[in-house]
Amino acid sequence: MLTACIKTEQMKLRHSHLWLVFLAIPLLPTVLGAGNYVNNIGLLKSEWYSLWTQHSLFYANFFYGPLIAIYCSYIWRVEHLNYNWNSLMTMPTTEREIFLAKLFLALRCTVVLQLWVGVLFAVSGKLVGLPGLPPLEILFWLLRGSLGGMVTAALQLVLSMVIRSFALPIAIALLGSVAGFLMTSGGYGMIWPYSLMMMGMNANKNTDALSSPVGFAAALCVFLVLFISMGIWYLKHKDVHA
Amino acid sequence: MDYMVETKGLTKQYGGKEVVRDVDLKVPRAHVYGFMGPNGAGKSTTLKMLLGLIQISGGQVTIGGEPVNRKNRIAILKETGSLIESPSYYGHLTGRENLEIVQTLKKVPKQEITQVLKLVRMEEQQNKKVREYSLGMKQRLGLAEALLGRPELLILDEPTNGLDPAGIQEIRELIRELPGRMGMTVLVSSHLLGEMDQMADYVGIINHGHLIFQDKLEALHEHSRGSLRLCVMNQTAALEILKREGISCNREEGALELPRLADDATARLIGKLWEGGAGVYRAEEKQKSLEEIFLSLTGRRGSL
Repeated sequence: MLTACIKTEQMKLRHSHLWLVFLAIPLLPTVLGAGNYVNNIGLLKSEWYSLWTQHSLFYANFFYGPLIAIYCSYIWRVEHLNYNWNSLMTMPTTEREIFLAKLFLALRCTVVLQLWVGVLFAVSGKLVGLPGLPPLEILFWLLRGSLGGMVTAALQLVLSMVIRSFALPIAIALLGSVAGFLMTSGGYGMIWPYSLMMMGMNANKNTDALSSPVGFAAALCVFLVLFISMGIWYLKHKDVHA
Repeated sequence: MDYMVETKGLTKQYGGKEVVRDVDLKVPRAHVYGFMGPNGAGKSTTLKMLLGLIQISGGQVTIGGEPVNRKNRIAILKETGSLIESPSYYGHLTGRENLEIVQTLKKVPKQEITQVLKLVRMEEQQNKKVREYSLGMKQRLGLAEALLGRPELLILDEPTNGLDPAGIQEIRELIRELPGRMGMTVLVSSHLLGEMDQMADYVGIINHGHLIFQDKLEALHEHSRGSLRLCVMNQTAALEILKREGISCNREEGALELPRLADDATARLIGKLWEGGAGVYRAEEKQKSLEEIFLSLTGRRGSL
């Protein structure tokens, strides 16, 4: 039944211009990162790794979280509009299936975004004249970052479900990401959901700074279970106000 | 009697205020049950509780003989079609795409989409985006969604809202036929008494969250029958005859208003008036308005 739910969630996203947003917005941190790299080439000596510090500085702090948030807000916007809560909750599907189906799309979005960013990173690296191909390690960081992004996605999905506004959850994601930068540098990254994607993708670092993979994995699991449970609990217990 | 929907002491509180109080609904299987009441009386709240859209504060709901709980929620929803408050629709999708979502979730064969589209006469608009639909078309689409999968129970909240007169008539006839054609039980709400006359077999009336009346439609007519209005050519002659027959009457706007009479007594009286040359050119039963019925029902709540 979950597959049927995922299928219908997919159908609900038809005819949207969301993909355009996701295609275009990641260009910004790419350009900003490459610009910074070129301007500071005297200080940045580690080639691809140096470019990554600049690219990821902008991307992880200001773009990844809000982009996930836009996707999650859109997923719920279609339900908040036109009394769709009524039909959503009277279909023969469990609350768990409803939340997990939406989460599946959001999780997929976190991975696809990272792959696209990887492509942009490689292209920008070639354009600024870096030799060869980007190291595979950075691709690994990107994908590990998407694991952290999944925590963001689960949280944003809960926020956008509860908050009917489209923009407010996105603003929260932006603030959360900026705060995430501070939390990570302060050593509290593991307990702040928006920090995990930065730590995962090793943002603004040119060597792998993730000291405790086990701790990272544990934090991922704890937050995911927490947010998913919150989302399902809300669907089960809250009166529907379409 | 076999009830498709039965509630016992159904109650909903919002912040200490009871908007639905102790409602014992009894909806017989394979009939149209009209659920009436003024706006804000608790109709939608009651229907939403039946569907599990809002939590019940007190009492219990039985659907298809089974007390509704978390375990059988899915099984019950599978056999239930509903249209609550206003039609739900994904405006950026076409009518057909909207139906495909319901069809996928209800695991209904795809051909049924064409069937329900035909049933509500929406074949031609099916590939248009729903946000371009008129309210009436959205209402029809909502009805088509509810009908998908031929559910045993159909819960419709003011389904004729926003339709034009021809559309209203068409939807009423469709609802009227559903029990016979498909064996469905239809629970339909409305704030219009006249509407129920054309659809319902059974009627429940809710007012201020209280179910103040529940019975066959004919029984409601007993309450709604008001007075007999006669228009005559010769009032003096008519008054003379009425006096002789011992029937009191009020003169009103050129007509005579008599208390309700039995059918045979009415026939006899009109015969006498004709013989006496009063010239009856119109005799009509004046129905009480819904408000007046409410008054008479609430005034006599003890005996109901």
